[in-house]
Amino acid sequence: MIVENLKAYIESGVLELYVLGDLSPEETLQVEEMASRYPNVRDEIAAIELTIEQYAMQNVVEPSADVESRLFEKLGLKDDDISSIPTQSTITPGPKILQIDGSDSKVRTLRYALVACIALLAMSTAALFITYNKLGDAHEQIASLNLDKQKFAGVVSKLEFENKGLDNMAAMADSKEWATIQMAGQAYSPKSKMKVYWNKNDKSVLINYVAMDLPKADETHEYQLWALVNGKPVSLGVFGKTDSTSNEAIVKMQTINEAQAFAVTLEPAGGSVNPTMEKLTVMGGV
Amino acid sequence: MTALKKLTLTEPELVLALQSKDPAILKTLYSMYSSALYGVISRIITHTELAEDVLQETFVKIWQSASHYDNTKGRLFTWMMNIARNLSIDKLRSKDFKNSLKNQDIENNVSFVDEQNKVSFNPDVMGVKQLVENLKPDLQSVLDLVYYKGFTHVEAAEELGLPLGTVKTRIRLAIIELRRSFN
Repeated sequence: MIVENLKAYIESGVLELYVLGDLSPEETLQVEEMASRYPNVRDEIAAIELTIEQYAMQNVVEPSADVESRLFEKLGLKDDDISSIPTQSTITPGPKILQIDGSDSKVRTLRYALVACIALLAMSTAALFITYNKLGDAHEQIASLNLDKQKFAGVVSKLEFENKGLDNMAAMADSKEWATIQMAGQAYSPKSKMKVYWNKNDKSVLINYVAMDLPKADETHEYQLWALVNGKPVSLGVFGKTDSTSNEAIVKMQTINEAQAFAVTLEPAGGSVNPTMEKLTVMGGV
Repeated sequence: MTALKKLTLTEPELVLALQSKDPAILKTLYSMYSSALYGVISRIITHTELAEDVLQETFVKIWQSASHYDNTKGRLFTWMMNIARNLSIDKLRSKDFKNSLKNQDIENNVSFVDEQNKVSFNPDVMGVKQLVENLKPDLQSVLDLVYYKGFTHVEAAEELGLPLGTVKTRIRLAIIELRRSFN
């Protein structure tokens, strides 16, 4: 194209319409073709573009503030994550990568924290389980210790009971006030034996559970102590089972002023008026 | 370049970041160009709500079709402005827009019109603005139709009852006049 024609082309106003986007696709391609061939055309287009741009910059209108936030919302970009690129800076990959790295490491940190939490939970559960088992063992031990303790308490109270009886026996043997009557086993129970203590002054009668060896009486029977006074039996009262752990080893029976002998029979619970001679267990003379 | 003092990045930098889809660039781009593009849109579409919708659509399209921008064919701003102009003109001719006009009652119109005239000027270039307004009336009328009203040069020719060639020449002369005032 000769210079004259090129000038006419530029002055036709087609380049202005090109910049304003007011040309058909064919015309647009034609202008682009011209621009690539002729630097004059290219320079002219650049000058028109710059003018239009400057003109637009002189005629700005501020949109309302929420348009921006709506825009970012619509594009699914979080406004908080995006900081505008600082003034006068050139775009270097640095800050961009740093930003992405920042959120990445945050996610990684959270992931580690989650793993740590799960591990801690597992350890806590295991510890709780072990502790629970140990607690069960401890309960069993306490129960068995309690049983032992009860056994010991039983043994101790039995020992105390026997000790009292023995003390009393020793005291009575020393004293001249008390007469000790030995009663020996009879036909009904030859191996039995028992002692009765009779006070010479006040005539009281005592028996000592420690100082007797009688067969165990069943639930419905009791032993009854008798004094033989001039050939007649006189009841001095009943006493319980020989293995009784009742508090007192020494039991005070009824007093008797005179007696030639003492005897014990097995009677129905509560005692009898007359002794059942078939069940005469022990007897001894004064 | 004082006229572009809001510019914080050079065009090649902007284009590079835009085409790498860095979300941060969209914020930068918005702060640099939203008011200039809204200046274009809001003169074509005087209804605030619709104009702001178009502004949003413009940035969505800029963001989504950034890869189509070819810097050998022109400036980034020219490309963005043409997106804004085309979307504005589409909106102007849409059903949406026609319905919205019907819904304007007289009372609302008073504040509505005021709203439309909320133009912010850059104090540094007030003198330039003055000069633009002092364009010869025949140049001004063509520029008004094409630039502000979104008319094509063919429509402007019909509107003004002038031959196509004359309209094209007047557009060119108006822009040359502007160019002189900026230099």
